[in-house]
Amino acid sequence: MKPILLIACVLALVATTFLVVNADVPKPKPSPKETRNYLYSSLEVIPDPTEKDAVLQIRQSDLKELRAALDGVEGSTTIAAAITNSGPRTIIAGLLLCLSLSIGGVWLVRSMRSPSTLSRGQKAVAILLVATATIGVAAFITRANAGPPPSYRWRNLPTALASGKAHQGPIIIQVVPDDAISGGLKLILPMKKQNANGEE
Amino acid sequence: MQNAFEIQITSGAARRAKRTQLFVAALALCTISSALFAGWLPLQVSIVTVFLFAGPHNWFELRYFLMRLPVRFGRSRAFFLTAFTGLGILTITYLSLPLIYRATVWTNEAWLTLLGSWNTLLLAWVCVLALLRGKQKPRSNWTWIIPATMLVAALNWLQPEIFSLTLVYVHPLIALWFLDRQLRRTKPRWLKAYRRFLAVLPFVLSLMIWQLSQTTSLSEDNGLFWRITQHSGAELLPNISSHLLVSVHLFLEMLHYGVWIVALPLLGSLVQSGNYARVLDFRTVPIAKHPRGFPKLVGTILALGAVVVVVLWIGFAVDYPTTRDIYFTIAIAHVMAEAPFLMKML
Repeated sequence: MKPILLIACVLALVATTFLVVNADVPKPKPSPKETRNYLYSSLEVIPDPTEKDAVLQIRQSDLKELRAALDGVEGSTTIAAAITNSGPRTIIAGLLLCLSLSIGGVWLVRSMRSPSTLSRGQKAVAILLVATATIGVAAFITRANAGPPPSYRWRNLPTALASGKAHQGPIIIQVVPDDAISGGLKLILPMKKQNANGEE
Repeated sequence: MQNAFEIQITSGAARRAKRTQLFVAALALCTISSALFAGWLPLQVSIVTVFLFAGPHNWFELRYFLMRLPVRFGRSRAFFLTAFTGLGILTITYLSLPLIYRATVWTNEAWLTLLGSWNTLLLAWVCVLALLRGKQKPRSNWTWIIPATMLVAALNWLQPEIFSLTLVYVHPLIALWFLDRQLRRTKPRWLKAYRRFLAVLPFVLSLMIWQLSQTTSLSEDNGLFWRITQHSGAELLPNISSHLLVSVHLFLEMLHYGVWIVALPLLGSLVQSGNYARVLDFRTVPIAKHPRGFPKLVGTILALGAVVVVVLWIGFAVDYPTTRDIYFTIAIAHVMAEAPFLMKML
């Protein structure tokens, strides 16, 4: 009698919980793939007195990637995108992180009980390391280490051009509708107006 | 009589203090000159440095590791067997990665999964080695390595390529750890000064990063320059100037070479007499000179190592880019070999 009662209880528990967590909800339909109409690259502006025409050069690989992006084929992705886009790797990383924190916690509790194995300083360092690693991972995933904005690299362009030097900075190659540009190509530079002292 | 004795003690202390000052001055000179050269002409100096020192530093590492090998493994049998088996398997699998890459048409994701798996194997091997080493030290508890390894493995799975790049930057620093342990054994008086120097190193690196962060990226107008910038992570970190990446990596590499080729051989008990040339005498290696040792085997290994160094020089002279590629692929073996020998010194 007891086993039947136990099985019935377990079944009842499962039946109630799957309703609560919506486990009977069908798998959501995959959303249609968004085509990416931009590409991260870098641009070098070179003042060349010997050239007669302004020339815009693009690497074959960049063009291929841009074409792949427009066709909806996945090209090389940025760090944050790579993390969020890779399901299996994120699952493995999550499992390992979970195991690490669990085992680390057990280890910390056990080592705290036996004062001979770890000194107070070592325990403090261990806690600090775990905290730093957790914050670090969070910062990494949220791109909090992104650094200065790309516009920062362009701020010295006028000085470089005035002295006849080449200058390089990051650029986004974007495909826009035909009516968005009056001419053939448009280059937009993230630059602020500077006063005589060079202040923005 | 007492005065003469006091004078003798004072002069001895003064001599020791002067030697310590000399050691610190040499460290400072090496660091400053490496930072200046690495920041000034990163690509050119990188080519010259790898050409001259890549092979010899491997030979010196091999010799150092032979110096640290016991004649009989004894209680360390399991440790060394794990070390050498893992070293062999990991090296062979790592060497097969570029071959797999060329032979198969895998997606980027599949490739990253393969790379992540290899990195996880490497971490697992280091973890097992640390646990085995921990067992030999009954008063210490090395089990913290398990959660730490899992944490690092988790980060690796998020970005396997960044993990591999981290190895490229961290590996040169391991030499500084070896030097620390060696100083502790042979010149403990210099240890305090050395650790102060280590504390200054992050400031030097910060200064380099500050100075070079706004520089324009290095031109990659030929295959060799492209390879050097890629090795430093220019493709993985596109928002960071490749000038900065190559300079920082080169600076660390120069310190690494300096430790293995100059500092450690000079500090070793072997050349304390001041005769640096004795480094070439294989009979001074403990497992060669021991009555139950293996002089022929040690002699052959070191001679073969010397031949490889010469072959590398010839290779660099004939086809620098290809030899550089081959060298940095095979060099993973020496990167991994440092792990067990460093653990044995802890």
